[in-house]
Amino acid sequence: MSTDSNNSNPIPKIAQDDPGYKTIMLGNEAIARGILEGNAILATAYPGTPSSEIMPAVAICAKYHPEMRVEWSVNEKVAFEAAYAGSMCNVRSVAVMKHVGVNVASDAFMTAVYHGVRGGMVLISADDPSQFSSQNEQDNRYYGLHALAPVFEPATPQEAKDMMKYAFEYSEKHNNVVIFRTTTRLNHGRADVVFGSIDKIEQKAEFDWDRNRWVCVPSNTRPQRADLLVRMVKMTEDAENFPFNHLTLTEKSINGKKVGFVAAGIAYSHLQDSLYELGITDSVSIFKLGLVNPLPVKSMEKILRHVDVLFIVEELEPIFEEQFKARAYEFGLVDKVQIHGKDLLPQQGELLPETITGAIAKLFNLEYVVPEVPTLEIPAPPRLPQMCPACSHRNIYWIMKKVSRKLKKKFVNNNDIGCYSLGVYKPLQIADTALCMGGSIGMANGMAKILSDDVIVTAFLGDSTFFHSGVAPLLNAVYNQNDILVIISDNNYTSMTGGQDNPSNGILLTGEKGTLIPIENVVKGCGVPEENIWVHEAYDMEGLNEKFEAAATAKGVRVFINRHMCSLQEIRVIKKQKIKLPVIKVNPDICVGCMTCVRQFGCPAISFDLVARKASIDQTQCRSCKTCIYICPQQAFYVVPE
Amino acid sequence: MKRGSPLKEVNGNTFPKNKPFNCDLANTPQVWIFQNPSINKLIYMEIDRFNTFIIGVGGQGVIRAAHILADAALAEDHHVRTAETHGMAQRGGSVSGFVSYGKEVHGPLIPKQGANIIISLEPSEALRSVQYANKNTYYFIDITKIVPLSIYQNRKLNYPQIEEIRTELSKITPHVHFIDATNLAEHAGNIKTMNVVLLGLAMGSGKVPLLRETLENSIKKFVPAKALEVNRQAFELGFQQGAKTEEI
Repeated sequence: MSTDSNNSNPIPKIAQDDPGYKTIMLGNEAIARGILEGNAILATAYPGTPSSEIMPAVAICAKYHPEMRVEWSVNEKVAFEAAYAGSMCNVRSVAVMKHVGVNVASDAFMTAVYHGVRGGMVLISADDPSQFSSQNEQDNRYYGLHALAPVFEPATPQEAKDMMKYAFEYSEKHNNVVIFRTTTRLNHGRADVVFGSIDKIEQKAEFDWDRNRWVCVPSNTRPQRADLLVRMVKMTEDAENFPFNHLTLTEKSINGKKVGFVAAGIAYSHLQDSLYELGITDSVSIFKLGLVNPLPVKSMEKILRHVDVLFIVEELEPIFEEQFKARAYEFGLVDKVQIHGKDLLPQQGELLPETITGAIAKLFNLEYVVPEVPTLEIPAPPRLPQMCPACSHRNIYWIMKKVSRKLKKKFVNNNDIGCYSLGVYKPLQIADTALCMGGSIGMANGMAKILSDDVIVTAFLGDSTFFHSGVAPLLNAVYNQNDILVIISDNNYTSMTGGQDNPSNGILLTGEKGTLIPIENVVKGCGVPEENIWVHEAYDMEGLNEKFEAAATAKGVRVFINRHMCSLQEIRVIKKQKIKLPVIKVNPDICVGCMTCVRQFGCPAISFDLVARKASIDQTQCRSCKTCIYICPQQAFYVVPE
Repeated sequence: MKRGSPLKEVNGNTFPKNKPFNCDLANTPQVWIFQNPSINKLIYMEIDRFNTFIIGVGGQGVIRAAHILADAALAEDHHVRTAETHGMAQRGGSVSGFVSYGKEVHGPLIPKQGANIIISLEPSEALRSVQYANKNTYYFIDITKIVPLSIYQNRKLNYPQIEEIRTELSKITPHVHFIDATNLAEHAGNIKTMNVVLLGLAMGSGKVPLLRETLENSIKKFVPAKALEVNRQAFELGFQQGAKTEEI
């Protein structure tokens, strides 16, 4: 809906002050609308699924609300620090990232909560239960307990918008950074949302020269911690009246027992469906939490005293459950109320509606047939995500494998976070490790220190990941003389998360021109000698092969940069400029059906007829990179003459 | 009601003769009401929850189809929730979207065996959706294959034939409909309107509790002006096919 506008008003709907307007919004768009309605001035982010759509929507708003400043920061830590500086300077700020991004930002965050805020500050953490596109499924509600910070968690896109707007006010009131925790099904789900008003408040950016507050020396932060603990007590008291917490108690019972539920976020939405399906919506007490840290002690006591059985329905970790059990002990209710949670629900993966319904039905002996998943005689063939047609990562992987064979030397290929991680799958199967952003170079450092010379230690990462966290470990390698080969597969975009701009193309989030930073300049600046830096066009396989072999056989810290624009982005340029691409075809007389192209190379545009044993090219998918001409042992691929 | 023919501008009592879809899931009765019978106004149906599952391959327009459907449902005053696969959507992987609307819609996910309609933009992907199908589910499936690379890397894997897919799905529900939507989309003028052809098909079959006009309006909202005619044509071709689906 973000680009939606009508003829009379050229401003996109999301940026219009039109309270009462109702539309379908993606959770992430609703959050962006909340950021606008809450009048945030500074918004920063590093893209990461499932948070990536928030910032482009905020950027649309910023275009029509010129007081707003937005940026893609190079990593989450910088994003947090930049946004926090906004708060220091008395304007409302927000930093947006995925859950693992908070780990990167946590160094700044853990101390920022000591200093507190001036302008309201919100840290959006988009968690990913079930790991749809993440390396882990950490539950970032823990950051609230860890840092002593309030955590908001909305249950619907409507609530996401409303709570986001409220979060700034709350942050200012309680002098603390608010963690705004969402999960994938909220971020990537649409629902009906009614707009509120855009409440502009007077905000003048000005620093206050209070060294005793903003400098993190122990003499400052010790008393700040004491104060933070006091603020936390205040927040806990205030939580009783938190507008998005709802405690509904009923005298009704199920099988003679008074039953209560506790839930937050998407789990609450699913719980509502389950209760409706079982027909017990009105027979149970419900404590819906919007503020998931700190929990309101008095309300907890109320429901614990009221019910006989309390079922805590929460995704991932038993955070509420442990607190409710501790409170039950404190109030002497351990024998009175039976508390259930992770004994009946899984601790891993997102909660599914039938899992919740089944658990409730079982606990209370209600009639419910757990749906069975039919087993098929013919299963669907696996369809894993793969690198796109004409993806430059595939080219360099091919060359790496070829050079490794030629030199009769194995690579330990430390990989990183990006599209190239897909190199772990068939047919390339070349990624050996991957841990975290920038981890490839970091791990390569250690391996170079201890492994013998018969393996080549490599680190493989992309442009955005290099800017994010690759520079420091590269410096480390140069300083410590760790003999590694770093391959930076530069495609000018942060591709995995949807093709966001970054320093490698020099375009800003606003669409304006920023400063383009050539990676080779950064590498040079890190102290890698010029003769150990190779830069080459990623579609030129011959040249790539030659240069890469030189890089693989050289000594010292070496950096190989292969460069070609992300093919997904390039196809947009080609369409826009109506460039006619050459047509590539397979000569069936030459093709011997060796299947190298589909079994070892794996370009999705190439298909293979298993009966005729001939390869062919799907012209709708082919982007004419011509790499297949190089990789085919028979040279059966050719460019159709015009 | 004759397969999705709009229940509009009725002053009298044109009550639909057959309840055109079943929803055993929640065992809740489905009522048809007239929103405001006294005036000439589009009449919306009251439903508890109608679940549509859309599946396909990245880049086929699964998410766009889900978005269009959600928008149309909102236009008929339903509560709407969707859940979609993003992120890896353009990497050729399997992509799906849940769309639920009605007055009792809270969570975005469809429970297992809970889909009223399943739209599959690719034949083998329909097999991946069986967990959401029940004996009353209607399947609308395009027949154009997109063979995944996994087929070439494992000799034991086969891409199933359309008839095999039909046999498998028919074990769960008798309502399995294949259509050459890609071909119809090509006829309409753009192969990429295949998702709209399938929306038209579902609508034409009379199994979607929305009005044709509403859905068409939503499609208009999401396509650029120059593609309006192509999409209208694609919808019409799909709709006609759906209306011919006699068994329904």
